[in-house]
Amino acid sequence: MITRRAAAQLLASTAAAAALGAGPAAAAADKTVVVGVHLPLTGADAQSATLILHGAQLAFDQANDSNAVPGYTFKVKVFDNATATAGQYDPAQAATNARKMVSDPHLVAAIGPEMSGDGKAQAPILSQGDLATITPASTNPDITNPRFAAEFMPAGKAIYFRTVTTDAYQGPEMTMFFSKKLGVKSVYILDDSGAYGVGLADAFEAQAKKIGMKVMGRDRLDPKNSDYSTTLTKIKSINPQALYYGGVDQAGVKLVKQSYQIIPKMIKGGGDGMYAPDILTAAGFPAAEGWYATIAAPHLVGEKQAQGVIQAYTSKYGVEPSDYALTAYDGGLIIIGAVKTLVAEKKPITKATMRDAIGASKTPTLQGVVQFDKNGDMLSHTVSVYQIREDKSKPLSDMIAQYHYLGSAPEA
Amino acid sequence: MTFSSLLLQQTINGLSLGAMYALLALGFTLIYGILELINFAHFNVFMIGSFVALWVLQGFGLSGQAIVLTGLPLVGVLVAAFAVTMGGCGLLGVAIERVTLRPLRNVTGPAAMITTIGVSYILFNIVLLITSAQTMNFPNPLPPLQWNVGGAVVTLQELLIWGVAPILMLGLWAFVQKSRLGKAMRATAQDPEAARMMGVEVDKVVMTAFFLGSALAGAGGMIFGLYYNFTSFLIGFTAGLRAFTAAVLGGIGNVPGAMVGGILIGLIEAYSGQFIATEWADVIIFSILVLVLVFRPSGLFGRVAPTKS
Amino acid sequence: MPSATAALARPFAAIPEARRRQAATLALALAALLFPVYHGNQADIDSLANAAIYASLALGLNIVVGFTGLLDLGYAAFFAIGAYTYGILSSFQLQPEWSSFWVPFQELGLVTQMPGETTGFVVHFTLSFWLGLPLAALVAAGCGVAFGTPTLRLRGDYLAIVTLGFGEIVPIVFRNWASLTNGAAGLNGVAAPVLLGHSFGVNATPYYYVAIVLVSALIFMSFRLRDSRIGRAWMAIREDEIAAGAMGVNRVRFKLLAFATGAGFAGMTGVLFIAKLQTATPDMFDFPVSVMILVMIVFGGIGSVWGAVAGAVSLSLLQSWWLPDLTGWVDAAGSAIGNRWLAQVDLSQSVELIFGIILVLMMLYRRQGLIPAYRAPAALSFDQQHAVVQRGFGELRLSGLGGEAHTGALALGVRGVTVKFGGLVALNAVDIDVPAGGVVAVIGPNGSGKSTLFNVITGLVPADGGSIRFHDEEILGLHDYQILVKGIARTFQNIRLFPTLTVLQNVLVGQHARLSTGAISAVIRPPGTRREEQGAIDWAMEILAIFGNRLLPRAGQAVSGLSYANRRRTEIARALASRPRLLLLDEPTAGMNPAETLELAEQIKGLKGLGLTVLLIEHKLDVVTTLADTVYVLDHGEVIAKGRPDEVRRNEEVLRAYLGRNAQAAAAGTTGPVHVA
Repeated sequence: MITRRAAAQLLASTAAAAALGAGPAAAAADKTVVVGVHLPLTGADAQSATLILHGAQLAFDQANDSNAVPGYTFKVKVFDNATATAGQYDPAQAATNARKMVSDPHLVAAIGPEMSGDGKAQAPILSQGDLATITPASTNPDITNPRFAAEFMPAGKAIYFRTVTTDAYQGPEMTMFFSKKLGVKSVYILDDSGAYGVGLADAFEAQAKKIGMKVMGRDRLDPKNSDYSTTLTKIKSINPQALYYGGVDQAGVKLVKQSYQIIPKMIKGGGDGMYAPDILTAAGFPAAEGWYATIAAPHLVGEKQAQGVIQAYTSKYGVEPSDYALTAYDGGLIIIGAVKTLVAEKKPITKATMRDAIGASKTPTLQGVVQFDKNGDMLSHTVSVYQIREDKSKPLSDMIAQYHYLGSAPEA
Repeated sequence: MTFSSLLLQQTINGLSLGAMYALLALGFTLIYGILELINFAHFNVFMIGSFVALWVLQGFGLSGQAIVLTGLPLVGVLVAAFAVTMGGCGLLGVAIERVTLRPLRNVTGPAAMITTIGVSYILFNIVLLITSAQTMNFPNPLPPLQWNVGGAVVTLQELLIWGVAPILMLGLWAFVQKSRLGKAMRATAQDPEAARMMGVEVDKVVMTAFFLGSALAGAGGMIFGLYYNFTSFLIGFTAGLRAFTAAVLGGIGNVPGAMVGGILIGLIEAYSGQFIATEWADVIIFSILVLVLVFRPSGLFGRVAPTKS
Repeated sequence: MPSATAALARPFAAIPEARRRQAATLALALAALLFPVYHGNQADIDSLANAAIYASLALGLNIVVGFTGLLDLGYAAFFAIGAYTYGILSSFQLQPEWSSFWVPFQELGLVTQMPGETTGFVVHFTLSFWLGLPLAALVAAGCGVAFGTPTLRLRGDYLAIVTLGFGEIVPIVFRNWASLTNGAAGLNGVAAPVLLGHSFGVNATPYYYVAIVLVSALIFMSFRLRDSRIGRAWMAIREDEIAAGAMGVNRVRFKLLAFATGAGFAGMTGVLFIAKLQTATPDMFDFPVSVMILVMIVFGGIGSVWGAVAGAVSLSLLQSWWLPDLTGWVDAAGSAIGNRWLAQVDLSQSVELIFGIILVLMMLYRRQGLIPAYRAPAALSFDQQHAVVQRGFGELRLSGLGGEAHTGALALGVRGVTVKFGGLVALNAVDIDVPAGGVVAVIGPNGSGKSTLFNVITGLVPADGGSIRFHDEEILGLHDYQILVKGIARTFQNIRLFPTLTVLQNVLVGQHARLSTGAISAVIRPPGTRREEQGAIDWAMEILAIFGNRLLPRAGQAVSGLSYANRRRTEIARALASRPRLLLLDEPTAGMNPAETLELAEQIKGLKGLGLTVLLIEHKLDVVTTLADTVYVLDHGEVIAKGRPDEVRRNEEVLRAYLGRNAQAAAAGTTGPVHVA
């Protein structure tokens, strides 16, 4: 069984390498740096995870093509953090994958996970195994919170790096944007029962209370339910100035549609979960018009330095990248940069040296030079704010055209 | 918004939900009445119905919210879509019965119920794989009309639900009461052995029940799409469970009971969302289910007692 | 794995089967123990540990669904309850302020003091993993009892829906009750187990061994429970609730016991699961998990212990090993032939689809699963089947049965008993006397209320009035199982055996009320329990011997394969096994040929000779005449005649009632079997 598995993997990887057309001469002589990409590729999160996977893949493909680190080839090894039995991300599978990556001697760094629930199960294992992972999307602050350092980094050094800021900034900065830029004095808060959505809404609510914005109520949507009219009617009767929704697009699409029917004029905003192609294609216009969304990173798409990458991505994969595809690309750049540093310093490339190199990294990326604090969080924590405004000249699914960048949110 | 108009609006919301639950509950009740089988596949026949309707409407060139029809074209498109959806789902139901359930008709124990869970999973995952988990924008050819009634808003979609659902339910009720096949169904429900001896073709009766129940679920799926303007592979589970609760509340096996039960569950969902909290809605509805089963097992109207003698 | 070993074992046919099985189990255990030694890959060990965890869950669900026949669609709720019990008591989730109240707990090592985030000291719960296991089992079992008490009276399909609802509610509560559970974000820092001062940390191997020990313990418990009074009662409930009640099984209590046991298994497994993950979120325990475990036991074989293990291990490895491998092969093949779709297809995404297909196919074509719980025993040889029937049982030592003196004292006194079904009066003020040691027959046309009389005596239907005294004790209003304890056992007109159980097991269920083994002694099997079990088997064999070699050679066969006459005999044997003082026989010779009828009549006469009181419903008047001292004639729910058999036979009213009704019925051509009410 074991040998057959190994054979299958070998065959698959050889065939994949052949299919990708990696230069045979280069491949033969080069040392290979294996990078794990672990994302929930099955079930409800599959779509967004695939976009992220391609972002990471692109960074390494480009590095191989341009021979970014002479003598070294990057190889991506994909792990599915979701199981169909869970129907979504599955922390038990994520933990198994963490062990797989830690026990793979050739694998020296990783990109992922997308979901904080997976991250919590992986962090202790990765920490003991000295393996650094860069998450392009998981924003729950617990994992890098020094309070829980004994749990999530028991070996003492940061291993959970992020190319996004955490909800600890994303929520509160949106509160500040609502308050300062939109003049919101009263707000109703919804979440979608998920770890991400609840955390984001909690952070928004805490900041609102802190600055004296009136929180008129808080409710929780069941993403499996279809009808939110009850909740929205209740909100209509309370009549707050604004609605803030912490959650992903699964409930978000329905919320956008039904809130357009019931509370069309209210200011409505969400986090990065609302920055998703589904909002445009499945909810569509006019319902989506006017919604605010944020991402926990500087505005990337649309900026000059990102354009080349976006074009390459679009032509290669046939779809526009999401922002987290680009933060994953950034993660790839940081890993490539770390390898470059180690090669220049003539240090061996191991999990531990990679972890230290990533932690000290000052690599230029699409979002500028990324530096990490001692817990693995980015030093800068910019939150970009967007508003959905229909651009009829562009396709519905064109996120760059339909989400208008309004600037970065005021610091909390 | 005054309290009374708020209450009225929640009642309107609840009635719309309830009409949809009632359509689904009828399917559970029909099949349960005849086979004493809880048909979990029904959940996802409803979901498939919304997708069939989506594809039919797309076949008419409708997509997204852009195209609005009025007058005869609107009626024609809707009638055609309802006919195809109901017919398609009805046949799906018959196929499910014929292929997976008939061989198990005389097997005691939970085998048939487990099979319907399996069928439900298969339907669910086929759609999941086809749509790659995406939420679909459901075309809405209805003009965006709405009326203000006592401070509450009633939309054309809601009127459509309140129109179509009772027509279908009354049609079913009339069929069961008046037609020859309907009488055979009632006879089979009361005593299959005796009905068989009296010359009732039980296979035909069971097939009819599956056809009608699934066709109603299909109609429910299409109404769902028109009302909410979206569909996804996920919509069957929650709606199906609530509809089942509605069938139990009304007295399972009892056709008018299923209608009243559906409306009640819809209203309970709306009022509990307003006055308690939406995150507890499921807990409230399931508590009702348990309480009804424990204290009034025959439901509000039913005669079949779900406890073993 | 019997089917696999069967092929290998052919050369070893000389070795006794039990020994062969022991050897196979030992080999399996050895392979499991050595796996981490010869295969050091942490991820694969972790995958196997997960598989063992699912096997533990499947074993628990197997007790509920497989043994007891209660379809539980919310089983993951108990998994969640166990997990959170340990998670909350071993993490930083709850931090009440420190006070002297906590000092005794600190001395027990359950809590420690730690500085609070703002001021002062707070409590840090530090429940040990090893204490967490039994505690979580108890908490989950308690929740099972609390949830089961109101709902387990419901019939199977309703129970399925209610459990589904419970399975939905529990994660919702954990999600919404954030102050207790940290809500959707999940618990942080659940403690890893510590053994002899060494923390398991994140090393998969010790978790693997704990999982193997846990699953072995649960397999052991499952077998011990299955082959005990407890397991037989569960299976009796699964096969036929009414017959189980009539044989003295307190259904609600034993269903609750099954529910609690299954919940306890899940609770323990939950502790291990989250100790390994060191975090828990409510999403981990949603409906798909409950369905998945059900698929595992359906695949492996409902009611089969090794089946549950094999189903769980194979399906969880299908997900973690085989499908990804297969995907690798397919993708490689796709790349090789240049097919883009094939090269990118991910088969793991269709696991749920595969599960659905497995459910349907198994139900349609192999309901007994991969490893069936029951194997068809070898057919009897020609000699065994055609051996001469030994009638009589004078030489048998039927200790403790019968011996009722013919003192003329009343064994059973039915006085003015009335039973109504809606508008129909099934029994109207019926009086019947059964003297101790006597044989009384009740005759009457179809639908005259004979079976209703039996049902009201044995507590199956409630009476609308009257009194039934058994040896001067009122029994009307007692539960069916209590009436058996008093000493009344019955058979059923339409035979209600436990079809997939063997003849011996059926007869052992009959002794249920006379044995005392509880769940704990069933597992531990102290000498007293062994003696009791051996005594029960000896007694059952003695009872079977009444019917000569009709049943003895078939003692190990499932009763569903028996002839009609042998099933009747088994049912009588089952009733006799309960050591009744009064035996109710409902048409014992129905469907038997004249020779068999004569044989059975002889045997019943033998029982009478032992001094056993018998109340008999019978159509065959010659049988009645041979056996009965007194005959009661029922028509339209009323006693229309009583007396000695020869008297009654000449009674004109009886003839009219009998022949008139039968003649009418014969003319209408509707002499179908009449339902027992």
